[in-house]
Amino acid sequence: MTTSPDARISRTAFSLSPRDPIALAVPAAVGFAILLAAPIAVFIAYSLLTARLFAVATPFTLDAYRRALGYGLNGTLALNSIAVGFLGAAASVALALPVAYWLRYAAGRWQMPFLFVITASMFASYLVRIYAWRTILGANGAINQTLQGMRLIDAPLEFLIYNRLSVTLALVHIFLPYVVLVLYAGFRPIAPALLEAAQDLGANAWRRWRRVVLPLIAAPAATTFLFVFILSASDYVTPQLIGGTSGQMLGVQIQANFKAVGDWPQGAAISILMLLAFLASYALTLAGLRVARLDRIRWVD
Amino acid sequence: MQGIDRSPLSGAISVAALLFLVLPLTIVVLFSFHETASLSFPFTGFSLRWYREVLSSAPFRDAAWNSLMVATAVAISTLVFGILAAYGLSRTSSRWRAPLALLFFVPITLPGLFLGLALLVFFAQAGLKLSLVTVALGHFIYVFPYFLLIAKAALDRMDVAMEEAAADLGAGPWSIFHKVTLPQIWPVVIGAASLAFALSFDEFVITFFVIGSQSTLPLYIWSSMRRTIDPSINTISTLLLAVTLLLFAIAFVLTLRRDLARGRAEAAA
Repeated sequence: MTTSPDARISRTAFSLSPRDPIALAVPAAVGFAILLAAPIAVFIAYSLLTARLFAVATPFTLDAYRRALGYGLNGTLALNSIAVGFLGAAASVALALPVAYWLRYAAGRWQMPFLFVITASMFASYLVRIYAWRTILGANGAINQTLQGMRLIDAPLEFLIYNRLSVTLALVHIFLPYVVLVLYAGFRPIAPALLEAAQDLGANAWRRWRRVVLPLIAAPAATTFLFVFILSASDYVTPQLIGGTSGQMLGVQIQANFKAVGDWPQGAAISILMLLAFLASYALTLAGLRVARLDRIRWVD
Repeated sequence: MQGIDRSPLSGAISVAALLFLVLPLTIVVLFSFHETASLSFPFTGFSLRWYREVLSSAPFRDAAWNSLMVATAVAISTLVFGILAAYGLSRTSSRWRAPLALLFFVPITLPGLFLGLALLVFFAQAGLKLSLVTVALGHFIYVFPYFLLIAKAALDRMDVAMEEAAADLGAGPWSIFHKVTLPQIWPVVIGAASLAFALSFDEFVITFFVIGSQSTLPLYIWSSMRRTIDPSINTISTLLLAVTLLLFAIAFVLTLRRDLARGRAEAAA
């Protein structure tokens, strides 16, 4: 059989992958079908079942959703979650913007060490960081004991911990490194020449920031805001450890439904309602960016 | 870039942010070496007393051993499945590529609480007893996207011409992968696997729901924190930080450094 040059080329490409290389991803895909897709399907089904203690039974019903929505405490906790999530996300982005900006345009030889420390702190244990804040803010913590040791106060300052603010503080500490890195990556394609051009055209620092930098960084800033909002609002560990009674959040209630109360359908129903709220806020953010016409701004290299 | 916005304000904020990130952790590490149980300054003296206490405690050793076992299993399985999937996704033009990539990245977008609960009800429904095995399965789903992200980026960066040349010279798919592809990406793969190990070693949010009667290091810290303010938590935290950060440093040298350095080159341009 004679082979034309064309046939030889296609045979070469073919012999590189006797079958399509995508076949190599099949084992992982099967794992994900079993350990991700199936659990999510079962979880949704559980929210539609009738509650038994630490178990479920048929028939399918919307009862769990009715109870989840009718229980007044859930509303209070949801508002707390939204407040903490919103405040945490706003503070993280507001603090990260100047940091990422400085790292990109002014850090010079300090850029690499700073990036290393910030990335490292992102990997520092989540639980240890919450513990660190309890060590600092607690009644027997570093601030109170030091102030008492210096005889500046007689009794520990109680307002430092066990409220929404201490939870927010710890969450900002947890998510800040991530926000800085994403915004730094967002600044990367914006060449300094662009800012110089604006300066040459007579724009002062505020105007350069407002008219050049902000429109270009708006999309990454909005998506990281959303990311921090979702992860903060759904956190169940921080509020339990340093939230006290006033800083409790919806995640703790969901967790309790599974671990202590044993009402799995209601726990599942609250989780799914929460997830739907997150999806809605995601859609809203995208729509907001589109309305403000900030979604398609790209700086071409 | 000289002369542009070198106002000291953003620099000052950056230094403050760095201190905000680092100081709380430094305090934990510092007090792990404190002579007394007190958490106040000034320091009264250094001592390894809490380390002796922690390292000789049987529950701590069990928890540490369990964490080590789980993280090793997770790192190895992620490495094997992850390389295959990354290579497959990087070299295919199949229409299944986008939906599969989407499936693999779902865990990054889901809150850990949701993932942990979904796994809990699934294991209950499947009649699987909660144990370190269920923990490892949960961690696998959680760390896989991070490994895939790094490994796939390395494979995408590679020049495919070398693989094609090897194929032209008659090499089979396995020897191409083994002799051409792998030698070029192994540092990244090892780095990504260290990261997978570190993420699993430190994981709490999912573990809390899918663990049986045993314990892992983060779970041990959690239950110590629930009990009392015990200075030995500082020590356990420091040990946990040391392991995670050591692995991070390895991963950084092998993978991330290149990305960040490229960013710096672009920034300098």
